[in-house]
Amino acid sequence: MDKQTPDNRGEFFDQFLDDYYAECDEHLVSIRRSLVTLEDEVDARTVDRTLLDNLFRSFHTLKGISGMVGLGAAEQLAHHLESYLRELREGTGVLSESGFEALVAGVSLLENVINARRNDQPAPSIDEIVQRLQAVSTDSADVEKTAESPTEKSDVTTARRWEVEFTPTVELAERGVNVNTVRSRLQEIGQLIQAKPVVKDAGGIAFEFVIATSADKTTLASFEADGLSFKPAVDEPAPRPKETQPVPTIAPASVVRVDLDRLDELMRIIGELVISRTRLDEQLTELKRSTPPALWRSLQETSLSMSRQLRDLRESVMRVRMVQIGESFERMTFVVRDLARESGKKVIVQFSGGETEIDKFLVERMMDPLMHLVRNAVSHGLETAAEREAQGKRTEGLLSLSATTAGEKIIIKIADDGRGIDRNLVLARANARGLSDGDSHLDDDALLNLLCTPGFSTRDEADRESGRGVGMDVVKKATEELGGRISLATKVGEGTTFSIELPLTLAIAEALIVSVNGQRFAVPQSAVTEVLEVESSSTKVLENNEIIPYRGKVLPLIRLARVFEMNHQRGDNFHVLVIGEETNAVGLAVDRILGQREIVVRAIKDPLAQSRGIAGATELGDQRVVLILDITALRQLATTAKH
Amino acid sequence: MSDDLKMNNILVVDDSPTMRRMVITSLGSLRRVKSTQAGSGLEAIERLAIEPVDLMVLDLNMPDMHGMEVIGFVRSHQAYRNIPIVVLTTKGEESSRTEALAAGATRYLTKPFDPRQLADVVGSLLQAS
Repeated sequence: MDKQTPDNRGEFFDQFLDDYYAECDEHLVSIRRSLVTLEDEVDARTVDRTLLDNLFRSFHTLKGISGMVGLGAAEQLAHHLESYLRELREGTGVLSESGFEALVAGVSLLENVINARRNDQPAPSIDEIVQRLQAVSTDSADVEKTAESPTEKSDVTTARRWEVEFTPTVELAERGVNVNTVRSRLQEIGQLIQAKPVVKDAGGIAFEFVIATSADKTTLASFEADGLSFKPAVDEPAPRPKETQPVPTIAPASVVRVDLDRLDELMRIIGELVISRTRLDEQLTELKRSTPPALWRSLQETSLSMSRQLRDLRESVMRVRMVQIGESFERMTFVVRDLARESGKKVIVQFSGGETEIDKFLVERMMDPLMHLVRNAVSHGLETAAEREAQGKRTEGLLSLSATTAGEKIIIKIADDGRGIDRNLVLARANARGLSDGDSHLDDDALLNLLCTPGFSTRDEADRESGRGVGMDVVKKATEELGGRISLATKVGEGTTFSIELPLTLAIAEALIVSVNGQRFAVPQSAVTEVLEVESSSTKVLENNEIIPYRGKVLPLIRLARVFEMNHQRGDNFHVLVIGEETNAVGLAVDRILGQREIVVRAIKDPLAQSRGIAGATELGDQRVVLILDITALRQLATTAKH
Repeated sequence: MSDDLKMNNILVVDDSPTMRRMVITSLGSLRRVKSTQAGSGLEAIERLAIEPVDLMVLDLNMPDMHGMEVIGFVRSHQAYRNIPIVVLTTKGEESSRTEALAAGATRYLTKPFDPRQLADVVGSLLQAS
């Protein structure tokens, strides 16, 4: 009876694989976070006990659930990681450099083992790492106990201790007030020293918390409506704080996990709804003449409020898909640490805007490209400590990761204060490879273009071969495929900043619908800075380029009819969509502007139908397909045509 | 109240949501059983306070309050001392088997667990009580 029946069990537990991967991801995120903090405590006399507890529990859980889904390698590895942490907790409490290294290596391998299963690949061998973990476990057990018991955080001394009693009830639970929410609220205002259940004289259950807080009485009184009572704590010798920070991996009971596929499905349905509503709109327009005005207006109003509701619905679903970018930053910190160690450089990582939210799909697609930029910054951007010292810089290189939102966009910056990119070197290499046209001056944009040319960097190729990721060309391509833009600012001796601008969301966008030669196209509105009406007679031809006067300068024109090789009869007037700003601006010449619409973007996957300058397709409600213009590609076509 | 119609409420306590789903799905084959879940020892005791519980499936290594403390609490209070507790914990801590049983655990099973065995054990305990 106690024996496992692997066949049935395997099938039974396979249904939980998605949950398993999701939970593994959560624990790995939290483990990485703890390790980053733990690194500061290598060789310190005392290690933060809470950190060790959190790590221990994560490994313990990973071991348990890996065993259930039959992933033996992950189960074993997690077991050895857990054992080492137990040694640390029960032994000296001192974390050695080699011990920390083994932990980091073990966690990376654990992630690889889990990912290998996820991608149906053979699991990497765990033997070497297991031996390393066993070796450091023995070391730490051998050393005599010298550590003192950890001291309490000093900021507690000014705070007052309170005993808090919370009596849970069904009514409170229905209002979302429960032992978990109470505990988090208490942790927000002070340090939680104790939490335990008690049985009251009448037989009911209550929870007793002891907190140290500097919050005043009125703050505490505001808790009373939620079934809490406060009294100053009797001054007894304080037990060691059980918990100094919330355990990040434990999702509160009110949070549900949703498969991204299900959200995609929801988005798809909303997309269909948007199309149907557009169709309704068209039909309404047709009805206008034959319908009594009062009735038509009321129909129109209904249609408009549906439009607003659809937008709300879409935004709500979008919000569900958003995740904080900080998690990705932490993953990068982890990689930076490894690289810095390998290369003997000292690197301080700073991040800001970690709470900025971005679509989960976007962040997953951008993870490798961002990682590549981070790797580049550490490997090539930052100098060694000795080099930095010689230049009068502080020995630690600074890598800063930041995220901000601006309108419908998120801007991610990866900046280092390293040596900067040497334009002459880049030019020389480009010339040697026949990639440059011999231009002697490179502005930041042109420099970036060169760096992103496939085949430019030998290093990139080497990296890719060794499985270390993507090249700059791939970074650029990935960004642009997601509707984003990458830019560069660099100064020799001072450092390099890559900025990546991405749309906050995908799939549905505002667009201008234009017509050229009777054919309709959609132009993403975010790309258009201005719309001009132009008389045909005001265009001039200069060096084979059509131009029009624009704000005291000239604006080169792109004729869509010419780009897509359509026969075009010119009318008297036409419209120009100004794309880009200042000196980079170009004009997109179209016959007419038909209107502004919310469009559902569909990628064109059939390679036979793919065409340069076309980003995708959409439906407008009359069931005819409209092509969406790829503005970035069109601009490139225009600039290459110049030469 | 007629026993025939009674729904048995099983409290599943584990800090891993995946593990809780595995346990609840395993118990799905039992008749007249519903389940409630808790992600920590404290939460488990809160559930006890606000709804009747007929049986607990309890993990040991949890944040806030260790499973052993939960057993101790449940067994030392009149209102709860008769609730059967099935400890379901990760293999490899064999010393805790004796400890848990001594503290008042009714049965002790290890993870990875066999879903049918878990359902059998829970089913027979519910019938006996």
